[in-house]
Amino acid sequence: MANPSSPNGKKVSARVAVVAAGVVSPLGFGLGETLESLRKARDCVSPVTRFSVAQCRCRTAGQIPDDRLLASQGEGIRGHRLHRASHMMIQALREVVTQESQFKPELTVIGTTSGGMSYGEHYYRSLRQAEKLRHAPTWIANYPAQKPVIDAQQAFGISAPCQVIANACASGTNAIGHAFECVRSGRYQRVLAGGYDAISEMVFVGFDSLQASTPEKCRPFDRHRTGMVLGEGAAILALENLESAQQRGAPVLAEIVGYGISTDNFHITQPDPTGVGARQAMERALQSAHVLANEVDYINAHGTATVFNDAAEGKAISELFNGVPVSSTKSMMGHSLGAAGAVEAVFCLLALQHQFLPSNINFSASDDDLDLNIVANETRPAVLRTVLSNSFGFGGTNASILMGKFQA
Amino acid sequence: MSLAIAGMGWVTPLGRGVDSVWEQLLHGDEASATAISEEFGHRPYSVFRVPESALTGLAHPRLRRASVISRFAAAAGLDALRAAGVKLDPQNAERTALIFAISNGGVIYTKRFYRDVVDAGAQSASPLLFPETVFNAPASHLAAILGVTGATYTLVGDGAVGLAAIKMAEDLMANEPLDHCLVVGTEEVDWLSCDAYWRWRLLRLTPPIEPFNEQQRGMILSEGAGAIVLARDGPFTIECAHPGGYFAKRAEAGEILKRILRDLSRSEVDLVIASANGTFVDQAEYRALKAVVSNAFVYTAKPALGESVGAAGLWQVILAAQALRSAELPPVLHADPAIALQLSLSRKPLVEARRAIVLSCGVNQQAAGLRLAIR
Repeated sequence: MANPSSPNGKKVSARVAVVAAGVVSPLGFGLGETLESLRKARDCVSPVTRFSVAQCRCRTAGQIPDDRLLASQGEGIRGHRLHRASHMMIQALREVVTQESQFKPELTVIGTTSGGMSYGEHYYRSLRQAEKLRHAPTWIANYPAQKPVIDAQQAFGISAPCQVIANACASGTNAIGHAFECVRSGRYQRVLAGGYDAISEMVFVGFDSLQASTPEKCRPFDRHRTGMVLGEGAAILALENLESAQQRGAPVLAEIVGYGISTDNFHITQPDPTGVGARQAMERALQSAHVLANEVDYINAHGTATVFNDAAEGKAISELFNGVPVSSTKSMMGHSLGAAGAVEAVFCLLALQHQFLPSNINFSASDDDLDLNIVANETRPAVLRTVLSNSFGFGGTNASILMGKFQA
Repeated sequence: MSLAIAGMGWVTPLGRGVDSVWEQLLHGDEASATAISEEFGHRPYSVFRVPESALTGLAHPRLRRASVISRFAAAAGLDALRAAGVKLDPQNAERTALIFAISNGGVIYTKRFYRDVVDAGAQSASPLLFPETVFNAPASHLAAILGVTGATYTLVGDGAVGLAAIKMAEDLMANEPLDHCLVVGTEEVDWLSCDAYWRWRLLRLTPPIEPFNEQQRGMILSEGAGAIVLARDGPFTIECAHPGGYFAKRAEAGEILKRILRDLSRSEVDLVIASANGTFVDQAEYRALKAVVSNAFVYTAKPALGESVGAAGLWQVILAAQALRSAELPPVLHADPAIALQLSLSRKPLVEARRAIVLSCGVNQQAAGLRLAIR
């Protein structure tokens, strides 16, 4: 656990509490449904229905059903025009605001990779195929990456300035990590942090073109893994200076205790096979938290199930940690890109609160090259005090956060 | 905590190099517009492009297949580090952070990638193009060229994103044991982005940009990059990086700009580098400037250089630094002399000017500000 009077003399300015959280993903709407899906190790990947995948190798993804998502229309803004990503952000923020109506953020930091990409696709297709462009102004207005963040804040009367981080698949963890450092330094008392991404044809086809996605099940760390499947979602955490939260009687769900970021510069789409980038991010998170590797009780891995990612990440984990339980929850819902780090932070939060290890489903055989303690196929009860969540992205960007069970 | 600007780099439609571009602006030069068209488009659009000569000598394996947005960024970033006298090596690369500000991103390769999908199906999608469509591709290339192994961030937003990136740099340097933070704003222009802004009634088909005009005739898009090296010491101090905020409706933009200006003008300011670009932004800025800092000189370079969106905030900061350093302002081009602001329509000496405000109002709901002082 984070030690304010650290052995290396580095000053830790403030403890950072998570006082509320909201999530929407293929695993469910809200913390309750998400907890149930995690506990039951549900496979929430299904055939893609939003666009044609007839020419793709991969034909499945983790998807949020529109019938429930779009029921969040009508938050005082023109809901029917908003992108699905805005509805996801509104859904996630509604849950935060419901838990903590007095939380007034000074800053909002959100990660994403593709904003309202499907509206950009509609616009381009209509132009290219000489179709009607009557809706073009709506598509264009709702395409920018900051729009879902502003829409969600506007829906609940929040006026904080927004920083939208687009660090590929590490974006969500970067957003939470940067927000954590903003609060820990004492420069901010309260910051909203999270991530979102909605599935789109362009991104789906892009990963398919790289042969990174699989026509089979997503099997992170499995000897027979063949690639990732995409997902979507949004998650938001309300971070607050612990002292401030306690003074106003806010509930403390958990603490963020450390953050590490690294850039490995190996290749624009592939991780350094030595695992150095992943290792540096995890080491820096441990140093930031003043936590030893043997104090970590669970790792929510990036675990995309691509051959290269899992090999590099697995190598880094096995070098740094000794038998710590590891799972990739992407096996249950796919890879939600800019949302992944935030959604998985919520999974870690639930694991800490309810003392269990989320599972890595579709796991059939260990990879002889990876010395990992995989939480295979079933949720396990466990005593968890400190958990680590990894996210790595295109461009060699790597991020890790450490969360701790709150102890007064 | 105040930060200093230790070096700057500038790639614009008027060429590359801070002193060179600044001299041209002082002489009242403006970029030449180029018409760009698209095979399926009904109309050409005028844009201000970066001349090819600006990227001469820029060679690196990571840039071989990279889009121009990455090349602009690399050129500006390398120039800024050189100007600051910073040479990165494995020892100090970890203590240097890289923050990118981007709006439309790699739109040229994104369009090309998706065009193949639309025309010929998913099987025609290019695995070489896809990675270049990702927002952080330019930052990744520059990080690789420089060997940065620590924090690299790409922020996405509208014309205010450059100042948001500087604010983020300030927060980072308060937290991390960092020596430097290289902040780069970059953008490339394409017919598709022009068409999008035109359909949103923010673009005009041909120059000029008429700043602060009551008739909002629209902007002309441009491209390029701006970079600054932030350090603990340097000739310019960022006294306050204002976090800004967002406005729900265009009509509300003026109020947030007033708030930013009030916060930043608690110390006496001599000039404001505005973001007026011929759109609704101008009237919002006009009202805010008139209400809060009516005595300050006001300058906007967008009639001369165009609206570079993600790069614009960094360009404005460079303009502010140059104005304070050279103690003069270039003429504001194509402005109506009757506009009731302290606009200089000709080259204007600044006597004992010490502080400048940079005000950024984007067209997609974001606004931010910054106060800069010369030491």
